[in-house]
Amino acid sequence: MRLLTHNMLQCHVKSCNDPALNFPLQFQEVELEQIEAEENEALLLNLVGKIDWPALVQTTSELGITGLPPTKPDVVKNDPALMKRLHEILLETNVAQGKMVCRGCGHSYPIKDGIPNMLLAEHEI
Amino acid sequence: MPRYLVHFAQFHEDFRLAELEALAQLENIPLKYEPDAYSNDNPFLLVELPSNEDARRLVQRAILVKEICEYWGSGDSYDSLFAHLKTTPERWDDFKTCSFKFLVKAFGGTRTIKEQIKIINTFSFLAFEGPIDLKNPDEVFIVYEDYGNDPILQKALTNPNEIHFGRLIAYSNRDVVQTYNLKKREYLGNTSMDAELSLVMANQALARPGTITYDPFVGTGSFLLTCAHFGAFTMGSDIDGRQIRGARGETDGIKTNIKQYGLDKLILDTLVFDISRNPWRQNNSGGTSTRGGPWFDAIVTDPPYGVRAGAKRLGRKTGLNPELSFVEVEGTVNHLRSDYYPPTVPYEMSEVLTDLLEFAARHLVVGGRLVYWLPTVVDEYSSDDVPLHPCLELKANSEQNFGSWSRRLITMEKSRDWENLTGATIAAAQVSDETAKSTPPVQLGHYNFREKYFSKFDSNSGSSTPNEAVIPAEPTS
Repeated sequence: MRLLTHNMLQCHVKSCNDPALNFPLQFQEVELEQIEAEENEALLLNLVGKIDWPALVQTTSELGITGLPPTKPDVVKNDPALMKRLHEILLETNVAQGKMVCRGCGHSYPIKDGIPNMLLAEHEI
Repeated sequence: MPRYLVHFAQFHEDFRLAELEALAQLENIPLKYEPDAYSNDNPFLLVELPSNEDARRLVQRAILVKEICEYWGSGDSYDSLFAHLKTTPERWDDFKTCSFKFLVKAFGGTRTIKEQIKIINTFSFLAFEGPIDLKNPDEVFIVYEDYGNDPILQKALTNPNEIHFGRLIAYSNRDVVQTYNLKKREYLGNTSMDAELSLVMANQALARPGTITYDPFVGTGSFLLTCAHFGAFTMGSDIDGRQIRGARGETDGIKTNIKQYGLDKLILDTLVFDISRNPWRQNNSGGTSTRGGPWFDAIVTDPPYGVRAGAKRLGRKTGLNPELSFVEVEGTVNHLRSDYYPPTVPYEMSEVLTDLLEFAARHLVVGGRLVYWLPTVVDEYSSDDVPLHPCLELKANSEQNFGSWSRRLITMEKSRDWENLTGATIAAAQVSDETAKSTPPVQLGHYNFREKYFSKFDSNSGSSTPNEAVIPAEPTS
């Protein structure tokens, strides 16, 4: 699972609706791998406008990934080094194994062979 | 404006014009034609376009077009065609010295090679002096004979009803259908969509580089492949992870197909969850939020009809029993077991549709498209059966008929922000919660589709048993 996808997901357990806690999910026991992705400037700029920057910064720092400014820069387009790093982080950094744990309710979403299992249990729907 | 002749494939006729319109929108080309000039019974359509370059761009992705020609003229006989051509002799001069070849294509008829050569020779008045080159000519001129679509009348005809003539501008993208032919695909499920219509769906969705397409009922991932083929980044999810993961590791599952087609740089992720309880972070831009709007540029999907694969969502038939999550099974709390699978209930088609439209209204960008299949019972279908949503504008509705049932490819485009509805969603939508979840006052053509499919169709064993249509035959042309 790519880090972009992680930024798109939140805990969706029915009773877990505190936006301060149900996003971003916290990675635990992860195994990372780089998988090449198509470079596309238009998409990347589009995504910069959509991703939650603080959540991305928090997540990357928890994973020990560096190279992102702590606050979203006003202009990303004219910074080729930052564009390259964003591409590597958002689109090419994958979680092969591990889990995503909700900071609110504690639900643990397992990731196996790069595929996250986001199904809820009976008491969570 | 210059006129061009579009030559469609005589296949999936109800989808052809919708595809052409979608491609014109995608390429931002003004496309003009007389609405009456198009017929599903005829593969030719005269259109107006600004330039040859626009004509080439219009068909470069087309699946249901064969080629597009610069239009030179028509006639109900060769004499009248020649008379028509002779009104614009100045056109001929540009091609006086280039290499060229002629093709004769007969719709609803056949011409032997000998007859074709005879026909071609009658065009000698054009006085092209360049060499004939059958392999790699500078220009191709095409004679289209039209014998009509009625097999009985065709046999009686010795001469075509109509003849068109034009200069080839560009072939379409139709050859790519063979690349995605199911027979060549390594991993198949029982619901894999045939290649031709999967590619048409990618065109309807305006799948293109720099955008994200999502399939919430991803199955074996047909649409991930075809949308990525056109350069879109794609994502998919399904409540059933078995097809996503595959049962034998590296040798099956969606990843096998992705690798086979070399599309792993564009297919972002596949996830396991129930779309009716999905974890996508709603990312709307309204109000004071600094987040930048919905994620998806297109949603392309074949929702489970409950025919080939029973649709499921999370739940328990006898009512939810949360305590069962916590009972101990083999020493572990039930829901924490590694092989725990939550209980599911059947997901009625009308609920699937209500959820799908509402999801699209929330998670598509404005201008983004929802493209999906709607099964209907032919005798009971009326246009009211197509579910509506105040945020979504119906763009196309194309039927693939299997006799007593059919499926319709519905294309909708998000026309306004979901936030601006202020509660109007449910009231204005035709498929409201009430009609979807209780016995509806008006039964939509897809209501209880599965039951009708298995009971009603089986009892009137007509010419088309549903089983014949499980996977439509691949086109041979």
